[in-house]
Amino acid sequence: MSHVHPTAPSAARTPLIVAERVNKRFGAAHVLRDVSAQFFEGEVTVVVGASGSGKSTFLRTLNRLEKHDSGRIVVDGIELNDSCKNLDAIRREVGMVFQQFNLFPHLTALENVSLAPRRVRKTPRREARRAALELLTRVGLQDHAHKHPFQLSGGQQQRVAIARSLAMQPKVILFDEPTSALDPEMIKEVLDVMKDLARSGMTMVVVTHEMSFAREVGDRILFFDHGCLLQEAPPDAFFDDQRNDRIRAFLGQITH
Amino acid sequence: MNGLLTIWPARWTRQQRSTATISVASALLVLFMWLVARPLALLPEPIGPAAQQFAEGTRVTVWLTLAAGLLGVVLGLMAALAKLAPIPPVRWAADFYVWVIRGTPLLVQILFVFLALPMVIPGVQLSDFNSAMVALGVNVGAYNAEAIRAGILAVPKGQTEAARSLGLSPLQTFADVVFPQSFKIALPPLVNNVVALLKDSSLAYVIGVVELSNIGNRIQAATFQPVPVFMATAGIYLVLTTVLTQISGAIEQRLDIEQRH
Repeated sequence: MSHVHPTAPSAARTPLIVAERVNKRFGAAHVLRDVSAQFFEGEVTVVVGASGSGKSTFLRTLNRLEKHDSGRIVVDGIELNDSCKNLDAIRREVGMVFQQFNLFPHLTALENVSLAPRRVRKTPRREARRAALELLTRVGLQDHAHKHPFQLSGGQQQRVAIARSLAMQPKVILFDEPTSALDPEMIKEVLDVMKDLARSGMTMVVVTHEMSFAREVGDRILFFDHGCLLQEAPPDAFFDDQRNDRIRAFLGQITH
Repeated sequence: MNGLLTIWPARWTRQQRSTATISVASALLVLFMWLVARPLALLPEPIGPAAQQFAEGTRVTVWLTLAAGLLGVVLGLMAALAKLAPIPPVRWAADFYVWVIRGTPLLVQILFVFLALPMVIPGVQLSDFNSAMVALGVNVGAYNAEAIRAGILAVPKGQTEAARSLGLSPLQTFADVVFPQSFKIALPPLVNNVVALLKDSSLAYVIGVVELSNIGNRIQAATFQPVPVFMATAGIYLVLTTVLTQISGAIEQRLDIEQRH
């Protein structure tokens, strides 16, 4: 008897996140204008654009740290709206890494990483701590597990923050300018961890100004300009065969 | 004043030192309440013969402070959360409470609870001690509300965002992330309020609570020696407030994981 699989190969291209005609205003400022985009499993999408172009705001709407005014955002089949249940379910699947790390200063690195699994997934304390130590080892910080955030460098703090979001085993991780607050010599250690993650098949959406990272790791580049998604292109076409004058000017400023 | 914190061996960790200070100071407070009559009994007239009365007054003052202080922290936390609530009438209620209590004299509040409350709510006649406890607790609660609210607001918004994006519920975010950080910020003003409460508890004298100030006044009236009597009374208050600040200093040091002090 033949068994019909509902998931044919083409269904592998079902997007994990769909944004349709998303609009957002802060008072008089129209910061997102009809933004539509899709994000696929296993893909690294890099979002670039000038400051104030709406790229961070767009990222923050994807786990509803900002509410969108109109349009539709669907994450893993669940629509983002005011229903609290949807929100908690989505936030468990969507990790977030912030520019300012936002580690919990009163907890050690290990406690930062194990807190959410213990509280949200009800993982037993010992099991959560074992898993947290494994994740800290993965980002190269096993020797710093019992330190508090203030005892760690910026790069180390950001790596703890990445481990913390991995602890919830999210389907996708959003990175909001993860290296912008770091001293130059610490940027590489964070980018290396992110590259490892990308190679392991993690779905990532990364807002960044690190163009070499975008070119090397990105599967797709989204360019934001004045609240609009101006262009969506693979890295080769975006960096080496750019026809748009506005984007050429932007790239000229960034890389020179 | 750092006092107790500095006498421990240098090789002890910060946490061991603060634990030692908290235990020793708490033990001293208990011992002082139980045994204060002994050293006082050794003093000459007019203190020595009245040592037992002083000891009883001290115990009443400390109990009154502890009970009102506990009530004040609970009320303060509730009012602080209400002030930050998204529902306007809840905020208004909390604002009204703080406005009325901070805008009227504590003496009037104590008299009101003892004398007027039974007329407002028939059948409710609290004892003098309980009236003083309720009035003092409600009073310090209004001041605590401001301290706790400021502490909660001082925790950066990114902390809440990080906790919520990890999937923690609003309640878990408050309990595990916001409250521990705001408690550290709110502690110094809270202790200030408790020290003020200890001294303000002397106002319970007007409704006949036999606490330390009342005892002092009775003894000076009987002996006609106000100077030694009020010096002894003030001395006991000073010992109590000093022990309190020692305990709070140790708790502060324990919470100060960044060792900025």
